[in-house]
Amino acid sequence: MSSDIPLNWFLYFAAASFSIGLMGVLLRRNAIAVLMAIEIMLNAANINLVAFWRYGIHAPEEGPLTGVMMAIFVITIAAAEVAVGIGLILLCYRRWHSADIDRFDGLSR
Amino acid sequence: MSQTLFLAISTLGLLAAVGTILARNLVHAGLYLVAFFFVVACQFILLEAEFLAVIQVLVYIGAVSILLMFGIMLTRNIQGDATTTVPQGWTLPALVAGLGLFLVLGFGINNHVGLKNKAAWSATATRPSSEIPKEGEASPRTLAINNMGQAVGIELVTRYVVPFEVAGLLLTAALVGAVALAYREGDDEGTNPAMRARAEFEPLDAPDQNRNGQPDSPGSASLTTTAKS
Repeated sequence: MSSDIPLNWFLYFAAASFSIGLMGVLLRRNAIAVLMAIEIMLNAANINLVAFWRYGIHAPEEGPLTGVMMAIFVITIAAAEVAVGIGLILLCYRRWHSADIDRFDGLSR
Repeated sequence: MSQTLFLAISTLGLLAAVGTILARNLVHAGLYLVAFFFVVACQFILLEAEFLAVIQVLVYIGAVSILLMFGIMLTRNIQGDATTTVPQGWTLPALVAGLGLFLVLGFGINNHVGLKNKAAWSATATRPSSEIPKEGEASPRTLAINNMGQAVGIELVTRYVVPFEVAGLLLTAALVGAVALAYREGDDEGTNPAMRARAEFEPLDAPDQNRNGQPDSPGSASLTTTAKS
């Protein structure tokens, strides 16, 4: 394959997505928007895992699917995290009548 | 060919990510997020991990984004109210943090030095072939790439059986935790739907406890309790 995609391109895409996700976490005040930005960051990490798995050279005792299995577990944990996060946001919304994370400051006073 | 495809898909993905973090309307942000998830699935296909792409579509687009949509609908500030705008004082620090992180990561990707006796991975331009050779033995990874569903299943119950069980435990704990978080015993205004449902079911649990002092049937008693609450 002469025109194969270089490994760096995937890494750059993942790095850019991760930075955008970080900016989203810092910029948004709505809790659900922050959760969405966290999902972007997790997906960027997954792309890195799979790209290194596909391009790298494997030690034979590590099994044939290291990066893919790691990405599957990350997806599992992300799903659980979103379920608990939405529950928490709904609880906070019921108490403060707002999904604004700047108002969730009960620990600071 | 594949390079052009990658560039087009990546551009769309970055645009979708930027739209996710900038869209005023949260439903629009959620739809941009679906586009980004789809782009990530396309990247997995470009990386020849089709099984993972299917999981991505099923779990992220099918479950996570729908859950986020439910969250948006239940918190009811969809339109551009005060919580969905970008606060003024945070724009510059967030831009500095994001661009700085990207610069650091890009520097690391560009100037990577390989380990001892190994070439730098940042120079890797071609991937190992995934085609099964005509003669000779194919490597385990080649076989796994060409038959990924089966390989993932075998790996999950042999090498990764402990993480698999722990993930199952984590999912159970998350399920119980989400239910416990969303369900509350008391409520300030009595507007909790769970409380109302309990009030409706109480006469069935204790039919001799008549709240109105009248020999009513359980159905009308439940109606009056609902009206009172």
